[in-house]
Amino acid sequence: MDFKQILFSIFISLFLLPVASAQETASVNGYISDSLTGETLILANVALVEMNRGASTNTSGYFTITNIPPGTYTLAASYIGYRRSDIEITLEAGQNLRMDIKLTPEGVQLDALVVTAEVDEEEIRNIGTAQIATQLITDLPSVIEPDVFRSVQLLPGVKAASDFSSGLYVRGGSPDQTLILLDETTVYNPTHFFGFFSTFNPDAVKDVRLYKGGYPAKFGGRIGSVLSVYNKDGNRVEPQGSVSLGLLASRASIEGPFQRGSWMLAVRRSTLEPLLAILRQSVDGVPSKFYFYDINGKLNFDASQNDRFSLAFYSGNDSVTIPFQDDALINLKYGNQTVTTQWRRIFNDQLFGFFTLTGSRYFNQPTFEIAGTPFERDNDILDFSFKGDLEYIPNERHTLSLGVWGGNIQLRFKDQFDNQTTFNNRIRSQYLSAYVQDEWKPTEKWVFNGGIRLNSFSEGNYTRLEPRLSAEFRPNNRLRFQTAYGRYNQYLSLISNEAFSGFDLWLTSDEGVPPSYGDQFVVGVKTIPIPDYGFDVEIYYRTMRDLFELDPFISDPAGLDYNELFRFGDGYAYGLELFFEKQKGPLTGFVGYTYGITRRKFPGFNAPVLDDPTKARFYPPKYDRTHDLNIVSSYKLSTRWSVNAVFSYATGQAYTEPLGRTQFNGIPWDGGSRNAFVIGNINGSRLPSYHRLDISFSRFGSFFQIGDAEWQIQIINVYSRRNVWFYNYDFDENPVERTDVNLLPIIPSISYTVNF
Amino acid sequence: MENELTINNTKSTHPKKLKSISLALISLFLIISSCDIYNQEDYREIIVVEAYAVANNPLPEIHITTTSPVDVEYNRESVIVQNANVRVTLLDENGNDSDQFNYYFSLTNDSYITTSPHKVIPSATYRLDIDFNDRPEIIQAFTTIPDEIQILNDIPDEVVYQSTDQIEITVSAPKRTNFQNVFVFSTIAEDPTIENLTPFYRASFDNENIDLQEVVINSSGLINEGNFEINSDQTITLRFPWIGVAFYGDSKIVINNVDKNLADLVRSQQVQLGGSTLSPGEIPNLIYNIEGGIGVFGSLSADTARTSFTRP
Repeated sequence: MDFKQILFSIFISLFLLPVASAQETASVNGYISDSLTGETLILANVALVEMNRGASTNTSGYFTITNIPPGTYTLAASYIGYRRSDIEITLEAGQNLRMDIKLTPEGVQLDALVVTAEVDEEEIRNIGTAQIATQLITDLPSVIEPDVFRSVQLLPGVKAASDFSSGLYVRGGSPDQTLILLDETTVYNPTHFFGFFSTFNPDAVKDVRLYKGGYPAKFGGRIGSVLSVYNKDGNRVEPQGSVSLGLLASRASIEGPFQRGSWMLAVRRSTLEPLLAILRQSVDGVPSKFYFYDINGKLNFDASQNDRFSLAFYSGNDSVTIPFQDDALINLKYGNQTVTTQWRRIFNDQLFGFFTLTGSRYFNQPTFEIAGTPFERDNDILDFSFKGDLEYIPNERHTLSLGVWGGNIQLRFKDQFDNQTTFNNRIRSQYLSAYVQDEWKPTEKWVFNGGIRLNSFSEGNYTRLEPRLSAEFRPNNRLRFQTAYGRYNQYLSLISNEAFSGFDLWLTSDEGVPPSYGDQFVVGVKTIPIPDYGFDVEIYYRTMRDLFELDPFISDPAGLDYNELFRFGDGYAYGLELFFEKQKGPLTGFVGYTYGITRRKFPGFNAPVLDDPTKARFYPPKYDRTHDLNIVSSYKLSTRWSVNAVFSYATGQAYTEPLGRTQFNGIPWDGGSRNAFVIGNINGSRLPSYHRLDISFSRFGSFFQIGDAEWQIQIINVYSRRNVWFYNYDFDENPVERTDVNLLPIIPSISYTVNF
Repeated sequence: MENELTINNTKSTHPKKLKSISLALISLFLIISSCDIYNQEDYREIIVVEAYAVANNPLPEIHITTTSPVDVEYNRESVIVQNANVRVTLLDENGNDSDQFNYYFSLTNDSYITTSPHKVIPSATYRLDIDFNDRPEIIQAFTTIPDEIQILNDIPDEVVYQSTDQIEITVSAPKRTNFQNVFVFSTIAEDPTIENLTPFYRASFDNENIDLQEVVINSSGLINEGNFEINSDQTITLRFPWIGVAFYGDSKIVINNVDKNLADLVRSQQVQLGGSTLSPGEIPNLIYNIEGGIGVFGSLSADTARTSFTRP
């Protein structure tokens, strides 16, 4: 019996599990949702107060509590930002009570705030996990558009490469080490404007959750972290919409119910055309075409009380055409499309399942036409997969989860120069993984989560086993000690450039190119020092082995074997994260601090110049920042006005300060000379520290009695700190002249949003 | 999914206990992280060698200089090293010394030259040895000369620029002296005037700052043999791209077959200038296949054709 047959057997056997619960006990289950919109709430709390037993909702907003002695109980449900709900229920022996609960947002009934503030509504905060409230994403000051990734970058352990990059550098890992899921579907290049901001439209997003490390067996495929984004299901109560007009981009969304479900549609498009038209009159090289758009949609259909179907899609595209001088034209086009269909089924009070079909396409198709010579690239990824996940709760001590994820990925990379194909590579691989994990609560104070994930990748015929383990000790309800360990494998590597993501290229492991793998160790303490405040400390250490990256010294891949395209190396990272949060009151926000170290080593790179060139020394990648501090605050000045501010401070990034120089004057096909630096330690120096303050003011009102309106005035980089991105060296000057290439200056902007 | 919910439990954490745990963790962490200090090194002077042997040509001049600190003015004359002992040795197929050529410093050329009439042999391997009377460095490098390359077809005397009749060049497929042959194509303009610049190159210069020398020799990057299909008669046919034409008028078209040392130097120099996937500011050293110093002891073979590019 091979791996696939074993997986199949395990999966099928779940359906054959004895599901009949003991007749002398009862159970309660259902969905928890927002009373105003019907949106299900992920990781909301629910409990039987008299028994001090509870559960949290899963990613579908579903909960179940089993093995309840017959009797009358108070079923309490709570979620951060919502009023607590207390419902009295009476359970009889053998009864399986279906109880869908609707929670009301706090802002709707302000007089209830006092009541809820006295209740200890503890958020589900697993180790290495962080959540960004969707409201915060739109409230924060932002350049061009509110951005999910820019908001995530403010969390401790997450770093930004620059003001121009929305890439997520989580706990010392590069962006490709973070699996990005939109409604369970992998997104390969989640950026607009060539990396400037992410593709996720905040109007469409319901939940953003980052698993920074030590994540459980349910996830896999990356050695670093997982960012899971769920789009809204659509308002199940009444039609609703919003329009937001900005200087550089605008967006609109509409959603509503139908007889047995809901729908949602959100569109966004850049509105740069007027600005470009003005610039073209006085500046050369201005794009003749430059836009992006994205469309998010979702359709939900409740086939029965126990069966819900959904269809979600995303389509985004960036396109720019630059006639940069006579007889020279650049045309860049890239985008993503995803589609997800999901069936969520409540089999019985103990077994819940969701089955997902996903499709994801990424393409980038740059073309250059210079002096009559065309250059064309066609880079495509097509990924179709099936996921099946089951959650089985035999009793109050165990929650068993298992699932499979299998699919087919095809990567195509084709280069044409002067109408002749110079490189053509197509990789088609099947992948299959399965996991099983059990959350075990031997006592009220201890929670263990052990799991194992087995995955295989057909290209190169790799099969890898990944153990995962976490433990939590809760001496009281305001203190949690947590630890986690996990092994992770990664079969993909992203070839990108921090400055520009428009040419992103994914490559896979293959024969001679083994998958990267790494171990992660996390220890943490989560506390609630006083009600409404949270203070968390986490320490992590992680290894990165068999990292495979495109060898930066390869100028022409033609004629090379696949494994010769790569350099193989190792790395490690460790850090300390502090997170202090205030969740309620007129002043809310958080302070996140990270002390982090990350290092890489590739043979032949960073070797001493006169030493054996195959040697290597560890070095910090550019994005390594020792200290990283973010302060995010929001203050309600009145019912009409609020102010949001973000202050960021970080150690200057690593860069290479050249030590010496020389010159080559005789290269036979050169008309002139070539200069070269002599380098000591790569990235052995530091740029000046980075700091920046962004502020936004919001004024709330109404739009002709049709709906609510909001003016948002923003100032990015209030004191116009000239942060340095990198240094440019000019050999035309003697001695060599160093100039600063700066990041964003002060940028004011204004937007107007109408919600109806 | 089932989880404990904590309601109405207001027990507080003992602040002293929490404080001591936090302090212990942070102290341990700082001790570990102090092992990861990574700073920049200090500058030190290094010997730089530069020599390019061309198949069937006399032995090359050898330039020996030193590096200079990046923050001081670079003066080529002041970094020349005149007192080196320089020898080039021809190796036989087994790697044994076959013939040795002594070099001396020429004040006229500011480089080391030899009086030997020896012509560089295609596919042969040469060794360069350098030592000094007043310096400790001992330098050694090897180059294997690429096999001869020949243009086999007749090139038209005149070609209309950007017409559908692109020049096709058929060359002999040279025997491999490296993992694969690496080519560089050059166009050398014989009448380089501003008026003769083709539109793209004309637009590349602003009107006040035109240095035609930058494009008189207009060369491609390194192009692997793997880009081309080998014809059944073991020849290679390639189309000369219009982007290689900077000037109208008479031109030489040169095809160079480049050895590994030279290819490594050029491709790594492009990386140092930022033309790769490395982050901005992440600057590696060049790839030098030289022991005891840096630079290049490279070689190539070449063949030349002539044509004239006329205005469309």
